[in-house]
Amino acid sequence: MRRMRGSELAAAGLVLLLAWLVVYPILIVALDAADTTALRAFFTRPGEWAALWASLWISLASVVLAGAIGIPLAFLFEWFDFPGRKTLGALVALPVVLPPLVGVIAFLFLYGESGFIARALQATLGLEQAPWRLQGASAILLVHAYSMYVYFYLFTRAGLARLDVSMLEAAQALGADRRGTFWRVIVPLLRPALVGAAMLTFMTALGSFSAPYIFGGGFRVMTTQIVATKLNGDLPLAMVETVALAVVAVVGLLLLRRTEGEDILVALGKGIAPRPRPIRRRGVRLLATAAGWGLAVVLLLPHLTLLLVSLVPYGAWTTEILPPVLNFQNYGRLFSEAERLRPMINSLWMAAASTAVAVAVALLGGWLVVRRRVALRRAIEALLALPWALPGTVFAIALAITFSVTAPLQLRFVLVGTAVILPLAYLVRALPLTGRGILASYRQLDPSLEEAAASLGAGRWRTLARVTIPQLRPGLAAGASLAFVAGLGDMVASIVLYTYETRPVSIEILSSLRLSETGVAAAFGVVLMLVSALVLGIGARR
Amino acid sequence: MTAFLQIQAIKKQWAHTVTVGPITLDIARGEILALLGPSGSGKTTMLRLLAGFETADSGRILVANDDVTTLPPARRRFGMVFQHYALFPHLDVGENVGFGLRGRGKGDEGRVQQKISEALALVDLAGYERRTVHELSGGQQQRVALARALAPEPRVLLLDEPLSNLDPSLRERTRRELRQVIKRVGITTVFVTHEQEEAFDLGDRIAVINAGRLEQTGAPEELYEKPANLFVATFVGRASVFRGAAARALCGSSGAQDAVVVVRPERLRFAPTGLPGIVRERRYIGAAAFFTVESETAGVDRFEVLAEPAAARVGERVHVQATRAISL
Repeated sequence: MRRMRGSELAAAGLVLLLAWLVVYPILIVALDAADTTALRAFFTRPGEWAALWASLWISLASVVLAGAIGIPLAFLFEWFDFPGRKTLGALVALPVVLPPLVGVIAFLFLYGESGFIARALQATLGLEQAPWRLQGASAILLVHAYSMYVYFYLFTRAGLARLDVSMLEAAQALGADRRGTFWRVIVPLLRPALVGAAMLTFMTALGSFSAPYIFGGGFRVMTTQIVATKLNGDLPLAMVETVALAVVAVVGLLLLRRTEGEDILVALGKGIAPRPRPIRRRGVRLLATAAGWGLAVVLLLPHLTLLLVSLVPYGAWTTEILPPVLNFQNYGRLFSEAERLRPMINSLWMAAASTAVAVAVALLGGWLVVRRRVALRRAIEALLALPWALPGTVFAIALAITFSVTAPLQLRFVLVGTAVILPLAYLVRALPLTGRGILASYRQLDPSLEEAAASLGAGRWRTLARVTIPQLRPGLAAGASLAFVAGLGDMVASIVLYTYETRPVSIEILSSLRLSETGVAAAFGVVLMLVSALVLGIGARR
Repeated sequence: MTAFLQIQAIKKQWAHTVTVGPITLDIARGEILALLGPSGSGKTTMLRLLAGFETADSGRILVANDDVTTLPPARRRFGMVFQHYALFPHLDVGENVGFGLRGRGKGDEGRVQQKISEALALVDLAGYERRTVHELSGGQQQRVALARALAPEPRVLLLDEPLSNLDPSLRERTRRELRQVIKRVGITTVFVTHEQEEAFDLGDRIAVINAGRLEQTGAPEELYEKPANLFVATFVGRASVFRGAAARALCGSSGAQDAVVVVRPERLRFAPTGLPGIVRERRYIGAAAFFTVESETAGVDRFEVLAEPAAARVGERVHVQATRAISL
């Protein structure tokens, strides 16, 4: 009985902590936003509505584009066999290792008006000017489609892999032809996966900041609008905008969720996924192979471009199509100049610290929710998931406002400007990632394993270290690696909350770009890309 | 016997070493045929060839003299009950049963609803239309799968290990019910099983398959009393094999030098003379007991005798005689 009360107390403490971190700042912004002048300004200025509308349609268009690319790819790689299928199937997920800002600058170097493609066209066609400008909505959508189709690809492949081949055979035995089987069986069974991918894409696109920030030009979406307003010093208006964006996010999520229904994929028997069919016709086979490798090149181009640009020393490349000099000078500067090394160290420790805390909180949450089944378990789950439902900019502004005044009785302290605020912001973003992974793994964990450890004389900590954590490892590693990579490449929160001392890599990349030090910016990008790939690779290992 | 379903020299090669067939089998209208064999014997491949999920390398399959060998499963009009039922989790019971009744150009919803009710009533699940598949017990799911397969009025019913997914306590009853439904509909049925008891109980006739080959076809009694070869003799029912000297000692001195006899445990008895041996183990099963006897005579090592529980003791030296032996 006393033990039960102990976990209830711990649950109450955890709920308070999470509420203070996740809900409280949003409430403060919402209350402060109830400011008549700011509200009037928001409702009367046409630019505000345009930005909100732009955010919404860009997000929806991103979902459509990402689905149009990702879903057919998933079917191709899951159902058909052709030379290079395995290698290519892994390569197709590559855009994931590019943090948003790094992907954006890679696109800039590749497809931008002074990028490789434009230069090559200019030279071959003898044009006076660059053939296009990579700007506005189409540029943003291009980046979104490239980076977000992966969600549809991975979700659909996972859904197809869980499909039971006897379902398809049953449909055939009952007289359904291929089209009938597809529409009456496959699509309904894939629906949860598709809706999940659509929600993730929608949220990511709505919160996307790097692409509109670099490519937007005069085209504003809500995230860039909020930051611009705040930099102009109009805090009340920035808060109204933040609330507006939050409302769009929540409404969008609720609408999408309604189409999801319950997760019906829980198969009745043990499902055996259909085996990939070899493509027999030689012509089709060649075509599929060529298309596959062509696709791989297109997907890899941004990574390769980044690598190439990072090897071009400052000022060495002016009008040539290809850079004349290549060396490691930029990397030398990155690691020898203290002022350049600092952002790297900042990003690494801040991402590591926020991930460690997020894992600890999720472990405690998982134990309380799944094992102790505390009364507050729904609250804990909701609080862990909440930051996912709101764009990063919303939390950045909320934290900036909440923790810039001293009011101990209101639990508000000046944290802005200190080394704590950015890890805190990363932590908020990391909670849904670690929470989801660890809670899901905890639910699948057979409680008798822990009981067996206890009956063999292992204490609570030894059981945790030797049985529970090793069993939770897949979910824990996946969540933690995603959280770390998100923190490492973060730009949304950083641009609102950084100081010179605590500036992370993304901010340093921006200032390098501003100084036309493209080589250094690219070198930073390559390092981020490699660390992200390494961490995600470790996290995905079974 | 007029053959309704004809399997003519059907053959399918997997890899280089694994071949199923050639198998030739005739199945009469309304007959229930069991394909019995150990796992990996090719019995499931045979069923999938019938359903059309696999294509044969050679041979033909005919239904009422209609060649269906190359017909895709969707146009074969064969109903199939899958081992794990393969009920669609996104559809309710009624929609599952109606799946084969709907689709392109099969209109008339009233007629469909009526057929769904009839099919569900047939398997004793009347009124279950709006239940979700998850709410049902294993036995009910099996019956829904059966109703779904029967609803479009197929020409042949195929069942893949129909009872393997059920609790042992449920199997015997379900087996009887399954047979009753099939007989009431009168549909020609082929089912796959690896359990001899299931094949005996459910099948009118049994085809024993081993290593891709058809070993013997016949009624249960025929297989049990007159097995065609050693495999059938030992796979269908319990039996011990005696060769040479042991065979002669068991059945009297007659018999050839290289004789092989197979004897069921209940056809052996302890006697004053016969094959000598020592009782090593006694397993009591209620009405009787199995005695494992170890022999020193060449031609047999250990064998089982089914006798009165008090017929012998462990460690006792005994002699065994056969009341009826199967000579091969």
